[in-house]
Amino acid sequence: MINIKSFYDNYLNFPKTDCGYCGCTSCVALLRRHYAGEASLSDCIYFEARGYCKEDFVSPKHFTNTKTEPSVSYVSPCPSDAERVTVEVNLASDLHSKYGYFDMISAEKLFGQSLPEMKIAPSLGLARLESDGEAVMGFAEGRILIRRALNENDAFWQLSRFIRWLWGAVN
Amino acid sequence: MDINVAKQGNANKNTLFTIDLNRKCSLFLSLKIGDWMLDVELVRKDFPFLKQGRIYLDSTATSLTPEPVLNKMLEYYREYRANVGRGIYKASQIATEEFEKARNEVSRLINAKPEEMVLLRNTSEGINLVASGIKLKKGDKIVTTTLEHHSDFIVWQRASKRSGAALKVVGADSEGFMNLADFEKAIDDSTKIVAVSQVSNVLGVKPPVKEIAKIAHEHGALVLIDGAQSVPHSKVDVKAIGCDFLAFSGHKMCGPTGAGGLYMRELLLEEVEPLCIGGGTIEDVGLDYYRLKKGAAKFEAGTPAIAEVIGMGAAASYLMKLGMLEIESHEQKLTKRVVKGLEEIPNLTLYGPKEPAKRAGIFSFNVGRLHPHDLAMTLDVTAGVMVRSGHHCALPVIKEVIKAPNGTVRASVYIYNNNQDIDTFLATLEEISRTMA
Ligand SMILES: Cc1ncc(COP(=O)(O)O)c(C=O)c1O
Ligand code: SF4
Repeated sequence: MINIKSFYDNYLNFPKTDCGYCGCTSCVALLRRHYAGEASLSDCIYFEARGYCKEDFVSPKHFTNTKTEPSVSYVSPCPSDAERVTVEVNLASDLHSKYGYFDMISAEKLFGQSLPEMKIAPSLGLARLESDGEAVMGFAEGRILIRRALNENDAFWQLSRFIRWLWGAVN
Repeated sequence: MDINVAKQGNANKNTLFTIDLNRKCSLFLSLKIGDWMLDVELVRKDFPFLKQGRIYLDSTATSLTPEPVLNKMLEYYREYRANVGRGIYKASQIATEEFEKARNEVSRLINAKPEEMVLLRNTSEGINLVASGIKLKKGDKIVTTTLEHHSDFIVWQRASKRSGAALKVVGADSEGFMNLADFEKAIDDSTKIVAVSQVSNVLGVKPPVKEIAKIAHEHGALVLIDGAQSVPHSKVDVKAIGCDFLAFSGHKMCGPTGAGGLYMRELLLEEVEPLCIGGGTIEDVGLDYYRLKKGAAKFEAGTPAIAEVIGMGAAASYLMKLGMLEIESHEQKLTKRVVKGLEEIPNLTLYGPKEPAKRAGIFSFNVGRLHPHDLAMTLDVTAGVMVRSGHHCALPVIKEVIKAPNGTVRASVYIYNNNQDIDTFLATLEEISRTMA
């Protein structure tokens, strides 16, 4: 079976001390800048000392969905339950084209332990909140999908709750 | 013997296949055919949709279209764009010729005579035509199964309601296997028609259609096979099955949408009534009478989907050039890989036959309590893997056989899927199961 090489895999191999000596606020921030060509891995004080190999830190999948303005993509009946509503919104703007919208590694640090309804998978760039059969899914690129909401109001209430919770993880 | 002949043509010229003589010879010696090679990387070059690194695992819903088929359809629009069977000018004649050539190719694919091939839009239309054309009446009986697609199932429900004929539905066990004894019980002398899929579009299970046809014929019943999922993927021979009707769709076998076929046994062409009549179906018309044509033309009212039918013909040629046995063996290899991989993923429930050899390349599953739509969406967004989710137009299977109220996720493979597609799919699925379920 192959290995999914992603930002997260690379992060896992990183020092993860968030000491700040590199001039970035966290290891995640340095890695992100490295991929954007704005920082060098050598800025990390542990990097050479621990014998990391730069080639191991391959570039992750690029965000493609960010050349748009924030917008509601659609509001429609659920595919398998026409009584309920599904809504998709895109939050990302050009601003996020480099790093994506949500940073799921930070999201995991924020919620990983404390909120069992919120499942976060940094390796997939995905956060999922489920309650009473309703589900909200957020993707790192800035798309949010609300499924099985009772109605449109409910959908947007869930959306705003989701965004408020993940606010600390917005790039 | 040490000869290796690789006949690799220009993809656009429709000559795309590889023969490995060495392999074939040794296989002939051991009397085992059907394990020949398909050069999947060469096949992939023919599919423009794949050029962007997409992983398409939804061929059960509809297949991708290769360049030779696209070019053939454009050729019609560019070179001989005229109606068929009507004009006497050159372009119309070429169009008619190409249209009939397509009929030949499609017939050859399932070992039927061209006269027995009715060209329609899709499987659903074929089945509807049969249901309305065989003059069902009160006292008759229709036999079908829980495995059917809605296009086969509800058509018979309506036919039964309209005509007063009884409807008997044969059930399946939890893996989708059906018991021949149940058919023997269900089919009696009042049975007018037995309608069964050759491959289930949810479970991938392959009912014993030949044996079912035999039982039906012993009671004088007609047999309709829904070949939507079998014709594109395996060597289907209507004579060997012994069926009276077989419906299939061009869009699931590398053809365009909007063209399909219905095989109808020659002797029945006269007896079955057409669904639509009009231009192209008549021999003579007066003010107070009309006389329908004989043969397949009687069922093909109005201007057909000419480009699409010609495209479907090109698709049939394309598949036959690759070799149906090669296709089957390629998919069987992928199937083994998928089943083995899925079994290793924690929290995953795979529906349908456990044994890879007993299923087609269709895999329905669920991961933990994750909703199938969420799972499908995640596969798409995180890895570009396209799979279907929901009830797959077969609610009787979902409700009665596998009892998964939200439906399932369904992945399926075809000629253009390679091991790498499968591995990425499995790895992503494993990650989802680990982090989300
Ligand atoms: C077994 C089966 N029968 C019938 C159909 C209907 O085919 P179409 O939509 O081309 O009419 C399908 C398509 O999903 C199918 O899988
Ligand atoms: S110097 Fe290295 S360990 Fe410290 S925050 Fe920067 S990247 Fe992380």
